[in-house]
Amino acid sequence: MAEYLGVKVEILSNDPEHREFLEHAGQGRFVLQKCEDCARLRYPIGNACPFCQALGWSWEAVSGRGTIYSYQIVTHGIHPAFRGVTPYPVVLVELDEQRGVPTEYDGLRILGLLVDTLGQPEHEERTGIGLRVQVDFADLGDGLGLPRFRLSDEPAEHPVWQYTAGFARPA
Amino acid sequence: MPGLRDQYAVVGIGMTEFSRNSGRTTRALGVEAVRAAMIDAGLGAGDIDGMLSYHGNDSTTSPVIAGDLGIRLNFYMDCSGGGSSTEALIGLAMGAIEVGMCRTVVIFRAMNGYTEARIGGTGRQAPVFRGASVDVAMHGMHSAAQSFAPSFMRHMYEYGTTSEQVAHVKVAHSKHASNNPRALYPQRMTVEDVVNSRWITKPLHLLDCCVETDNGVAIIVTSAEHARDLRQAPAYIMGVAGRVNKEQPGGSHWSRGPISRVAGYYGAPIVFGQAGVGPEDVDVTGSYDAFTFTTMLQLEAYGFCAEGEGGGYVSSGIIELGGARPNNTAGGHLCEGYTHGIGHVVENVRQLRHQADDFCTGWAEGKHTYDYSEGGCRQVKDVEIAMNLGWASPATGSALIMRR
Repeated sequence: MAEYLGVKVEILSNDPEHREFLEHAGQGRFVLQKCEDCARLRYPIGNACPFCQALGWSWEAVSGRGTIYSYQIVTHGIHPAFRGVTPYPVVLVELDEQRGVPTEYDGLRILGLLVDTLGQPEHEERTGIGLRVQVDFADLGDGLGLPRFRLSDEPAEHPVWQYTAGFARPA
Repeated sequence: MPGLRDQYAVVGIGMTEFSRNSGRTTRALGVEAVRAAMIDAGLGAGDIDGMLSYHGNDSTTSPVIAGDLGIRLNFYMDCSGGGSSTEALIGLAMGAIEVGMCRTVVIFRAMNGYTEARIGGTGRQAPVFRGASVDVAMHGMHSAAQSFAPSFMRHMYEYGTTSEQVAHVKVAHSKHASNNPRALYPQRMTVEDVVNSRWITKPLHLLDCCVETDNGVAIIVTSAEHARDLRQAPAYIMGVAGRVNKEQPGGSHWSRGPISRVAGYYGAPIVFGQAGVGPEDVDVTGSYDAFTFTTMLQLEAYGFCAEGEGGGYVSSGIIELGGARPNNTAGGHLCEGYTHGIGHVVENVRQLRHQADDFCTGWAEGKHTYDYSEGGCRQVKDVEIAMNLGWASPATGSALIMRR
């Protein structure tokens, strides 16, 4: 039986997309859906291409590298699985692939827990917009995995921005 | 809608008490709220023939409420939906009346938002991860606060918005709530109170978040022609935009476009176009304030200030009673109590009638002191046009403009 943070993971047989996504992650591959017509990648998982409406697609392995675009530090846990791991950083990562497509405001923005090398929630002071990250996989058992992120050893893409009380960006 | 502008009106409003321990069913709350709106409008059971409601599998449906009150419906619809529903349902009510399906429509929301189904999510999470939870919930995002936080944080990054600036939304709403006898949290708050309250999810403090509440609220919509015969001064509907979206593939409002640009950006031309007015013509706003940030982002999206300037705008005093364009004069979801949006429409109707039910002894006759000291007045002087900004998420919003 697959589980994550002590909670059962059960992907129903009529939902092959989510099952396969976790199966690829279980084998260390971070995959996204690629439209077989316009060849654009998309995320999260969906049943048509939001750019050209084609139904056909296939899995495409991506680098799993990107830059933290936004984040939050969850202090008040809601879900039973996460109450015991607060505080934890949830990051929104803009992948290196397909940036600025179709407009300058768009990109492949992926949610994930930011973890340290031991797989524990990363410290807040090591979280910030602009930091480079790479995908990391949690083992869910039963051949399934879940993509998460950890800091990469690359330099930050731009000066790192972190939340501070009273912060005001210099003019 | 130029053809329908001013052709429909809100003619009745009703509310139960706001509490964190109603001790009764959503059916009882809904019935009391609808009955109160009927009495307010001067309408009997035989005068109501349409009913609309919205819910999150946490309420009682229209036929049950209508049945209890002896109302025979010619049209009803109970839809799933959040805080952008009321304005959208007002538009649907107008359409239903316009095509002749019914004549007078009640819209209600009844919820034990604290004692039964908490929107914040506590106690409602499925114990199993399946399906689309792979996309969001498994990454640790479950509540509305957690869902919206990346947009709020990015706004701070892009524009230098501070917690202290945004806290002024709570400060303003608490000032307004202090002049609202119904408010759950009537204490006036300071910026320091907000930023010193505990973290929920950074950048949201506890006092950046609204107050989950048990309540029922109802409004009644009918044609302007019919409205003129009723008990109250009609609040005429000038324009409405319902559940306008920004692109959200896979339900992810953070995937496309600037993530701190919310759906009101797309709703603004619809609602202002119908109404034939602009933001500068609006005297008072009622904005969905699940969080301090949601009010700020919506005021930006509808053009009350420029994109990115919301922090300076909400901390300037403009949105407070006594300011140029007060927002959420009853105290809003942050302080009066959480109604899932509909309470903001009720308050704007009161403002348009000049009958904000504050501590002024003559409020029912429209006599106010306009002294906004604590425990005093909350009526904005000479209100002619009021606007509602409804929010379900950064990706979905509704809007409504009404006039006296």
